[in-house]
Amino acid sequence: MSTQSMHIDAYERNWMIFGIVMLALFAAAVSVAAFGMGIQVPAPEQRVDPRTVATDPNSPWSNPGLREIAPGKYDAYILARAIPKWEYLPNEMTVPAGSTVSFYVTSADVQHGFKIQDTNANFMVLPGQVSKLTITFDKPGTYNFICTEYCGSGHGVMYGAIIVTP
Amino acid sequence: MNKYFLHGLYGLLGVIMLSAIAFKIFQPIQVLPRMHLAPAFNLIDQDGKPLTSEALRGQFVIFTFAYSHCPAPCYGIFETLQDVQSRLDEAQLEGIPVTFVTISFDPQRDTPAVLNAYAQSIGADTQRWKFATTTNQTLLKTIIGSGFEVYYERKEDGNFAFDPTFVLVDGWGIVRAEYRYATEVSNADRILRHLGVLAEEVRNSKGTAKLAYEAAHLFLCYAP
Repeated sequence: MSTQSMHIDAYERNWMIFGIVMLALFAAAVSVAAFGMGIQVPAPEQRVDPRTVATDPNSPWSNPGLREIAPGKYDAYILARAIPKWEYLPNEMTVPAGSTVSFYVTSADVQHGFKIQDTNANFMVLPGQVSKLTITFDKPGTYNFICTEYCGSGHGVMYGAIIVTP
Repeated sequence: MNKYFLHGLYGLLGVIMLSAIAFKIFQPIQVLPRMHLAPAFNLIDQDGKPLTSEALRGQFVIFTFAYSHCPAPCYGIFETLQDVQSRLDEAQLEGIPVTFVTISFDPQRDTPAVLNAYAQSIGADTQRWKFATTTNQTLLKTIIGSGFEVYYERKEDGNFAFDPTFVLVDGWGIVRAEYRYATEVSNADRILRHLGVLAEEVRNSKGTAKLAYEAAHLFLCYAP
């Protein structure tokens, strides 16, 4: 190095190297997760009109619930709402173990959340947007789901369950 | 010497990172996601002839799933397709053929003759709009339910409960878009726009430009 180079204390330099290594490690981890393992943040799928999403007969949320699209493969259209009361429609679904369920969740009024216990499903439910996530339930049991975004005085009673039978 | 080399390296890395961020933010190229492979199938069309997924390679195909006894207006499926058919020039496909395939999940009533009469009654051009089904119920469920991930179920009165869905498949047999519910923009408008985006990708992704289109896939620059 030239004589003009700045003097950096060894202790300080070690910390700087540590910081740069951590940045590189996290960048690599994020890249591997996104491009190598295909892990993606649950993104809003499409936009819908929240005023008619629950009433329009052409909208799947006018008839929310679980649909078996093929053996062991399900679509779950779930409507989260605060009016007339805080609830998910439907709030109980039963599937056999090993089922793959694609959740399509939207809100009819305010911002809600959707988190299924013991899975990595946890996303926001916004009026006008559809959130989609696919989960495979291998172990039998009761998987409760709750609202994770404060949505009003009934927020605490907003929950449901997915029952996975053996 | 060493110092200039290092500065040059940092500068180059910075330019690469800034261009990648600019590419993601401004999205000069937009594509449709490669969602999953469309199922292979072997069905019988409205003329009684076989219709296979292989015969549809090299063209854009819009699949719909319905049955001829569906009480009108049947979710407006056929109105949407007729709208797309009459406005196909807007997509600027420049010679890439588009075929509509309506798969009936009611083979007991929808024989080829019934499907043919139904196609005539709604004014479908059967050269470009095929109606098909198979009497093998297991195969039908596998194709529609497992393959295209579309729900249908026979009700007690003989009619069907189903989710009206359009599926856009490209010339390689890959699902590029699904339309499962009404959005702010009408389904016909979205289908036409997506056909245009797809045609542009097919036309332009040659040579070096192909790398730019692959970068658009990598950075998830998806057309809305």
